[in-house]
Amino acid sequence: MIIAERKPLDEIKDMVRGYKRVLNVGCGGCTSICLAGGQKEVNTLNADLKKALGAEDVHLEIDGFVIERQCNYDFFEALDEKAGNYDAILSMACGVGVQFVAERYPETPVFPALNTVFCGADRDIGWFEESCRTCGECVLAETGGICPVTRCAKGLFNGPCGGTRLDGTCEVDKDTPCAWYEIYKRLKAQGRLENILKIKPPRQWENQTRRSLVQEDYKQRYIG
Amino acid sequence: MPDQEKKPVDTAAIASMLKKKEPEMKRVLNYCLRCSICAESCFLYMAHDGDPQYMPSYKVINSLGKLYKKKGNVDREFLEGIKGLVWRNCVLCHRCYCPIGIDIPRMIDFTRSICRSEGVYPEQDGGESWL
Repeated sequence: MIIAERKPLDEIKDMVRGYKRVLNVGCGGCTSICLAGGQKEVNTLNADLKKALGAEDVHLEIDGFVIERQCNYDFFEALDEKAGNYDAILSMACGVGVQFVAERYPETPVFPALNTVFCGADRDIGWFEESCRTCGECVLAETGGICPVTRCAKGLFNGPCGGTRLDGTCEVDKDTPCAWYEIYKRLKAQGRLENILKIKPPRQWENQTRRSLVQEDYKQRYIG
Repeated sequence: MPDQEKKPVDTAAIASMLKKKEPEMKRVLNYCLRCSICAESCFLYMAHDGDPQYMPSYKVINSLGKLYKKKGNVDREFLEGIKGLVWRNCVLCHRCYCPIGIDIPRMIDFTRSICRSEGVYPEQDGGESWL
């Protein structure tokens, strides 16, 4: 799931200052689940903005609305009917959703109310941990299901480096376990230590252009 | 809006939302042949050992279908009652298949909009269990 957090109120306030009618659009997908941009958070942000701008004698007319996904135009129909009535739109979706909204209504300024932080898992309610950097070259098969790109401070494909402390933590932060030591322990327990000796070629980081994916079965449909 | 949960349901507003899409929604609701072919295209239905409450047609008929049947004249308890059907039992993955082409996710999406308009939506902070 994509994890996001609300931007500082002052930053959001500066974005919408100067607009009379603003629509704050929440997302019913990931940002609802990570408690950053669902219906409840839309209501809270609107109240906070009204209060903060009101204290500066700035009158802001702001409404809230939630669509089920901001990353899929199939869910935009109800928003289409409303969007034209506002001077600006605040989006409480991830960066994907914000861009989709901005693309859909190119004449209307669209502002992000959240910072999209990472792809992660739920540890507990309100507690999320990054687990994947979406690097596109998954090596989890050989690393015991522990991602070195995400969890090694240096993102090493071939580790560990020389900075592992004696207690198995990382030289960068004493509270962070060395990812490659964790990988070693996991592989050893599974009797698969030979995996750690395989040298993985360097990742082609320079190829970080915008990615697009069409699944094999759909290539005929979209590519021909 | 935060106090909306405590207010009585605005049945006129719901009726108005329903009316707006009535020609389309009632038509597709009537088109449903109850053939149940959609069932096995739903991964949640399959993952719950064929529990009919996860069958796409069941979810629509027992949420939006009932809303139309009652002409929007429902109370908060009703909306809370269908909340599980349209949120917990459906992730809006758009993978359900209907042989006559009914757009099931679109109907679930519309039902969620109606619930949201009355402040009925899932709590994500542990206030309720979805399992």
